[in-house]
Amino acid sequence: MGSSLTIKGGVLLVAVFLVLKFGLPLFTAPLPMSLIWLYLFLTTIGIVVFGTLSGHSTEALLGPIFRFLSGEGIGGATKFARVAVLVLFPLLVGWQTYSGLVPSSEPPSENRTIHPAPPGEFVGLANPVANTPENVMQGKGFFSAFCSPCHGAKFNGNGPASDGFNPPPANFVDAGTIAQLQESYLFWRIKKGGVGLPVEGHPWKSAMPRWEVELSDDMIWKIIMAEYAGSGHKPRTWE
Amino acid sequence: MMMSHRHALLTVALVFSFGWLFVVPVFAEDVAVRVKLIQGEVPTDPLSADWNKAPSTEFPMSPQVHWQQRIGSVTVKSIKVRCLHNNKQIAFMLEYADPTQDPADAAALEFMVGEKKAHFAHGQPMAQVQGGPVNIWYWRNNTGAADMSAMGFGTLKKQAQQDIQAKGIWKDEKTKIKFKERKLSLRKDPKGELVKDPKTGDPVVDEETKVVEQEVTGVWRVVFTRTLTTTDKEDAQFQPGTFPNIAFAVWDGHKSDTGDLKESGSQKAVTSWWYFNAEPPADYSIYLYGLVAVVLAAGVEFVIIRKVQKGSPT
Repeated sequence: MGSSLTIKGGVLLVAVFLVLKFGLPLFTAPLPMSLIWLYLFLTTIGIVVFGTLSGHSTEALLGPIFRFLSGEGIGGATKFARVAVLVLFPLLVGWQTYSGLVPSSEPPSENRTIHPAPPGEFVGLANPVANTPENVMQGKGFFSAFCSPCHGAKFNGNGPASDGFNPPPANFVDAGTIAQLQESYLFWRIKKGGVGLPVEGHPWKSAMPRWEVELSDDMIWKIIMAEYAGSGHKPRTWE
Repeated sequence: MMMSHRHALLTVALVFSFGWLFVVPVFAEDVAVRVKLIQGEVPTDPLSADWNKAPSTEFPMSPQVHWQQRIGSVTVKSIKVRCLHNNKQIAFMLEYADPTQDPADAAALEFMVGEKKAHFAHGQPMAQVQGGPVNIWYWRNNTGAADMSAMGFGTLKKQAQQDIQAKGIWKDEKTKIKFKERKLSLRKDPKGELVKDPKTGDPVVDEETKVVEQEVTGVWRVVFTRTLTTTDKEDAQFQPGTFPNIAFAVWDGHKSDTGDLKESGSQKAVTSWWYFNAEPPADYSIYLYGLVAVVLAAGVEFVIIRKVQKGSPT
């Protein structure tokens, strides 16, 4: 049992890594390595806590590790591995310190909130325009004229004017954009544009025009209907 | 023999020690202009061989769509940027394909001024964030350089103190540009009939997007130079090692058959904010800190192993 708990812990760590690194991206966005390391670290803590619940389990988990570290009763390849670990550990710490201090030319990471909270006056507004085929058709016309250069004729954010903007225009077909939002939220974003975003939305980077300058509310509501119809999603509701 | 609690604590300490190695920075996904530090003068000539020392970063450009009088397509679809500094002066070179040399051809760099974030479209006011002004370095083929400021549309003005220099050279040479090409087509069935969406009844549109490499004759190389810092409060100030924002704009000043400029004013090719980073002078103290970390880690390791050996179960 002595070595089996240590081995099981190691296998669990490897399995967690494989699932996070290669399994999850099959279903959702890939996780950043920093988050994967954090999960592995927490898993390690969990293994240690589990393994030290009783005296027997503590021996089963830690005995092989301590025998490895103390060098007692080991020989051959294990002895060589022990020396390698003891030499490499300080060197790795030194390398980590150096790489943490060396000036990086990588730009700082940006914690931009994709869907920040809207101002109170835009919460829960109902679309006053009837959802008729004629109005949707009109909305598609407005979308084509004003929105499609960036958001794309297929509502996928792949318009001909999208390439130079960082962040890129929203892809309405993606389930993570308008499918998660109410119509009132879209009304706010279209009417007030990028400059209407709060600080966590990084308004200084958004190319979204403040359409209230050029479009009536009626036109904006029709565009919203067109975006849902064109992307195949339905607006989120309170129900 | 059972493991002692001391051993358990030692193990936790070991886990934390190794765990510290797991803490790695979040890798930024953004692209930045890397400004290489050089000895001697920064090049002011767009054709200087010194530019070969600078790494090139390419940015796609979009038509200006943010404000009215927007434009549907632009001549310059991407721009290559190189930059060098010598700890006193900084020089940016913009390189882009433009088939014709025209008097109204122009290019510009934009920077935030001060600590406040500024919107990339001329620092226009933001509803919930108090933004700051922008500093625009403008160059036009027939008028030369202009050091400008803006804080909102309609506020663009030439500064009283002109701190920048700029020089542009157009060469009748071939260059390759890459850009995305999109084609939309109505889907048809084998009989040639339009396919309609069963839910909406709308014709189904297919989209094909591919990266096209095209050879273009005619290249502008425009160099902007300035000191890293100035005494002008309207100017952006740069410190090596930091990550200031930068945005780009280009105008194709070609005249159409009717005599109108193809691009002028707010009708231009633009980017939103990116970053640039001026390489700081070498700091050798980081090697010392790395060495100190090695010694400390070896010391901790030694203490842990001694403790394990003393209390080791047999």
